[in-house]
Amino acid sequence: MSKTVNGVAIDDTFAEAFGMTGTGIIITADSMKWARIAATVATGFGTSVIGAGAECGIDRELSPDETPDGRPGVRILMFGFSPDALVPQIRNRIGQCVLTSPGSACYSGLKASQSIGLGKGPRFFGDGYQTAKRLGQSRYWRVPVMDGEFVIEEETGVTTDAVGGGNMLILGNDRAGLLETAEAAVEAIAKIDDVITPFPGGIVRSGSKVGAKYSGMFASTNHAFCPTLRGTVKSELGPDTLAVLEIVIDGLTSKAVADAMHAGLKAVTDTGAKRGVTRITAGNYGGKLGQHHYHLKDLI
Amino acid sequence: MSGLTLRLKAPATERINLDGITPAKLASLAAHEIARLNVGIEKNGLTLGDAFEISGSPSETLTIEGSGAALDFVGGGLDGGTIRVVGNVGAYTGRKMSGGKLEVRGNAGNFLASGMTGGTIHISGNAGDNAGGFIPGDRFGMLGGVAVVGGNIGARAGEKMRRGTIIVKGKTGENAGTRMIGGTIWAEGGIGPLPGLMMRRGTLIGPSVDSLLPTFVDCGKHDLVIVRIMSRYFKSTLGDLAPKPMPLFVQKIGGDTAAIGRGEILLPAN
Repeated sequence: MSKTVNGVAIDDTFAEAFGMTGTGIIITADSMKWARIAATVATGFGTSVIGAGAECGIDRELSPDETPDGRPGVRILMFGFSPDALVPQIRNRIGQCVLTSPGSACYSGLKASQSIGLGKGPRFFGDGYQTAKRLGQSRYWRVPVMDGEFVIEEETGVTTDAVGGGNMLILGNDRAGLLETAEAAVEAIAKIDDVITPFPGGIVRSGSKVGAKYSGMFASTNHAFCPTLRGTVKSELGPDTLAVLEIVIDGLTSKAVADAMHAGLKAVTDTGAKRGVTRITAGNYGGKLGQHHYHLKDLI
Repeated sequence: MSGLTLRLKAPATERINLDGITPAKLASLAAHEIARLNVGIEKNGLTLGDAFEISGSPSETLTIEGSGAALDFVGGGLDGGTIRVVGNVGAYTGRKMSGGKLEVRGNAGNFLASGMTGGTIHISGNAGDNAGGFIPGDRFGMLGGVAVVGGNIGARAGEKMRRGTIIVKGKTGENAGTRMIGGTIWAEGGIGPLPGLMMRRGTLIGPSVDSLLPTFVDCGKHDLVIVRIMSRYFKSTLGDLAPKPMPLFVQKIGGDTAAIGRGEILLPAN
């Protein structure tokens, strides 16, 4: 049975999420502007692990006091199926997007019992001119580049306790108001540490179901939530629903995902009704596929 | 003071070898076994109990009082806990130390921190020649950890040093960083004459250098991120013992080009 909060109906259902491997990386630069540029490019095309190889996003911005080199920085998170699957993602994204960015440096952004290569690949760009400096347990590679040196830590932490696929579906009768509400939810989620919302602007308009009528397609449009198909298919949408937007959340821990969902749900119910939001639900597969279940009624 | 205390009974008449006398080892022995440990180098078999008054009970801290320059290998093999020494110590202090903390209120002899792989040494006074250097039979000098010397150090500091850091509040002697393979020597009082002979990699940092080998070359003035990292790391791990941060721009002098030339001497940029 659903309940209503501030005029928004909350379905009695749960978001079904999966165990994933996650890592954190700190990117610094001479200014926050350039740290942000490097981080944005490095996490680009990091939406769905199925199609993009990894789910990536910016966790938060770091003040100079919080970074190893005392410069402004950004912490990004990357999620994949396994540590091995993250190795080429890190190598390529850091090698192509951070190494190339003016003034950048790159460090471990996660302390964990397991570690994964960070500078192990990019250091070879130094063509033998690279040198290393070991300080405590960390080894920093210094790769000569045209604006000085690219410094990159050899390893970063990796956790297999991460969670991918926390989600909420926001339904409404005003597409513009729905988008504004979803943006507010993404902003609220961004304040929670150790989570990202990997899709464009944190918001998905093309929710998917598993499989398709076409062979070779792993996922296809979630037709039950497409408002233009209402009436022609078995729809999950009521007659007043004009649009649906989804927010997908990945986190380094299950608690972080739960906290993020709580923040997102609160943002939606605080202001959603006046913007045309009518209902919140969540995506699941009947509870048989994912290890993590986030019940909306427990998080509101 | 808590823990076991060794007080030298009389000025030593022979070299005393304290290699392996660590808090962990003493904690594993009964009192009579501790007293019977052989610390002499002559055939009369000098024992710990002969040389020192032993008091207290073993813990993570060992204190050596009334120490003198005849005590060699103090902190040798230390892998955890703390050894505090009041007085001077001899050669090979902190030899092959892998962890823990060694504090000496006095001077140290030659070969301080040779073969050291981890932990922290603080010598309040001066250290002799070959600090962090290798000894015949070793492949490398210092391999890790941090040694802080409050005064000056002698010649050839860091010879064949591969990793780790030597911080000198005073000045290095001549030929610091000879045949250095890696690691850092940071001399706040300046770098002595002709450093880095045949050094392959590694870093020497200081406010000045007395003279340079002709095989070292000026690489220009740079804002090096690694210097910022080192400054912050040492401040966070060493507190007041950390060296003062270098200015934003440093002059990099590369060498030794007679070897592969990947080493560097970093001076404040003018």
